[in-house]
Amino acid sequence: MMNKQFDTCEIVHIPEKEPHDLHNQPTEFVFASAIDPQNANHIVRRLNQIAPLENLRHVKRIQKKVLERGQVQLSVILCAASEGDNQLDSVPPALQELISSFQLSPFITKVCKYAATSKEEWQEQCKIWPTSYHPRTYNIDGITGFSDENSECIFKFMQSAMELATSDGVVVNAAVIVDPSAKQIISRARDQVFAWSTNKENSSIDSSCNRKSEFSSSDVISNNFATHESFQVNESNNQLKQPYTGVACLYPWQWAKQQLHSQSSYYCHPLRHAAMVAVESSAARDRYIFPSEENNGEKPLELDHENPSSTSSPAKRQKTVCTTVENDDDQLKARNQSSNQLLERPYLCTGYDIYLVWEPCTMCAMALVHQRIRRIFYAFPNRNAGALGSVHRLQGEKSLNHHYAVFRVLLPEEALHKCHTEVPQT
Amino acid sequence: MNDSCSETVRLMKLAIDQANLAMDALEVPVGCVIVHDGKVISSGRNRTTETRNATRHAEMEAVDVLLEQWQKNGLSMSEVAEKFSNCTLYVTCEPCIMCASALSILGIKEVFYGCSNDKFGGCGSILSLHQNSTDSPNNEVPLGKGFKCTGGIMASEAVLLLRTFYEQGNPNAPKPHRPVAVASDKNELELVHQ
Repeated sequence: MMNKQFDTCEIVHIPEKEPHDLHNQPTEFVFASAIDPQNANHIVRRLNQIAPLENLRHVKRIQKKVLERGQVQLSVILCAASEGDNQLDSVPPALQELISSFQLSPFITKVCKYAATSKEEWQEQCKIWPTSYHPRTYNIDGITGFSDENSECIFKFMQSAMELATSDGVVVNAAVIVDPSAKQIISRARDQVFAWSTNKENSSIDSSCNRKSEFSSSDVISNNFATHESFQVNESNNQLKQPYTGVACLYPWQWAKQQLHSQSSYYCHPLRHAAMVAVESSAARDRYIFPSEENNGEKPLELDHENPSSTSSPAKRQKTVCTTVENDDDQLKARNQSSNQLLERPYLCTGYDIYLVWEPCTMCAMALVHQRIRRIFYAFPNRNAGALGSVHRLQGEKSLNHHYAVFRVLLPEEALHKCHTEVPQT
Repeated sequence: MNDSCSETVRLMKLAIDQANLAMDALEVPVGCVIVHDGKVISSGRNRTTETRNATRHAEMEAVDVLLEQWQKNGLSMSEVAEKFSNCTLYVTCEPCIMCASALSILGIKEVFYGCSNDKFGGCGSILSLHQNSTDSPNNEVPLGKGFKCTGGIMASEAVLLLRTFYEQGNPNAPKPHRPVAVASDKNELELVHQ
């Protein structure tokens, strides 16, 4: 079976929080005291005013213990304490007052520092001090695993990103935005920090390619990943052998060190990382397919089919890898016009996935939050500047208004170097 | 009020002018100016609705103007880097995580902002990317560049703009699944694109 070749490759969910050892979760010290249940309401209300537990919102204020003979003992958290701080010197006067008026005898105890991310974690936490647990209310496909068919698609799109990353000499990062419901590529882009073009408008259209790449289940999967059995991808093997200094997200600050002469025809833009360009292209595609109705003064993006050359532009020539399907734009637009009433314009990239060869930097990861990407797949971690688990973990920043699910497709470094030498079977 | 302070307010007023332009165009009202040698050399305002690209924040717009200009003038990359290292940004709202990261990548010298950005802020509210100064051990490529950052410049004017915008309803926001109450507090404002 052709699924066999994927057996050794894993797709790993990168959770919102760094996983903790279940029995060794980080804790913090607090002052607590046993209280008379009759005073519980009053004391808790007062404590919430004078000493709210700002960073321990998941911790319950009161612990209830049932002692022998059915006796109930209540203990309440007074305030946070620092380690080795047995004195109550630093507590605010209002709290001191409360302690003396109810004749409390504070003691120091531990609570779990972070909210539980699983039922198992929560059960362990409550053995120390009760906490609250809010199970994930949303469910994004894949967190609980992928079917074989979905895995195949995921590998195919990742392969497409890898081909793009290695398609032009210097290995750069590459991004492929996909509509998973239609198995359709929305936009694709390479890093454009250094591009042989002085015309930004050209490069943005080029990279969009507006190429529709529909995979049917009968498609033959290319053999590029067939040799995986020989590679063991494990944590100790995480360090890539090459530095890949051309990858913008790995070395975001490197651009300033480039020795390039002003006479060169390089177009330099330190922020045009692959993900940023792919987002821009998907936006351009959106404006093209769904021209603004209320504002006809806004000129939709012009794509010249009759004269696709302007071959004088070096950026156009660079595009040879994407020129295989010539009438894409026409097809795309025709298809859309025929079904315009049925097609609802998506809000930004809602529902779309992005495939990146390297874990994105903070700028790119936040851009993907803004653009409402649904899932991110990347192959290689980015220890320098990665924002999806390596340096930051944006998928776990609760305050953000959108959260994507993040997956790592575990692939050996060799996969990167194989994909541009082998021609996919069709 | 001393001279440098009144100068800061004068420049922030120009950023607010930009935010007003965004408001007039039904965009989330955030604006900015970039200053070099005491001169305003670029300005920008939010353009996320028009472009359908939620990364087109005021800062990114203003930066693109400069890069295009400098490119035209034939500046080398090290000259571009040198330029940015002498630039100061005045923006009406704390740069989001993406923009703060971008400003760090560009190596900007200093940022003044109006109101803080409690949901997305990358200069102290959620992450502190402006403090992210780490040089690599062998002094080759840095793994972070910090910048000086001061908030609270004309914050109430900046908040008022955002509040006015969201009270009249953000036409570009997705339809809520449930009806939502109109936020009355700055902290509850849904800063959809900034």
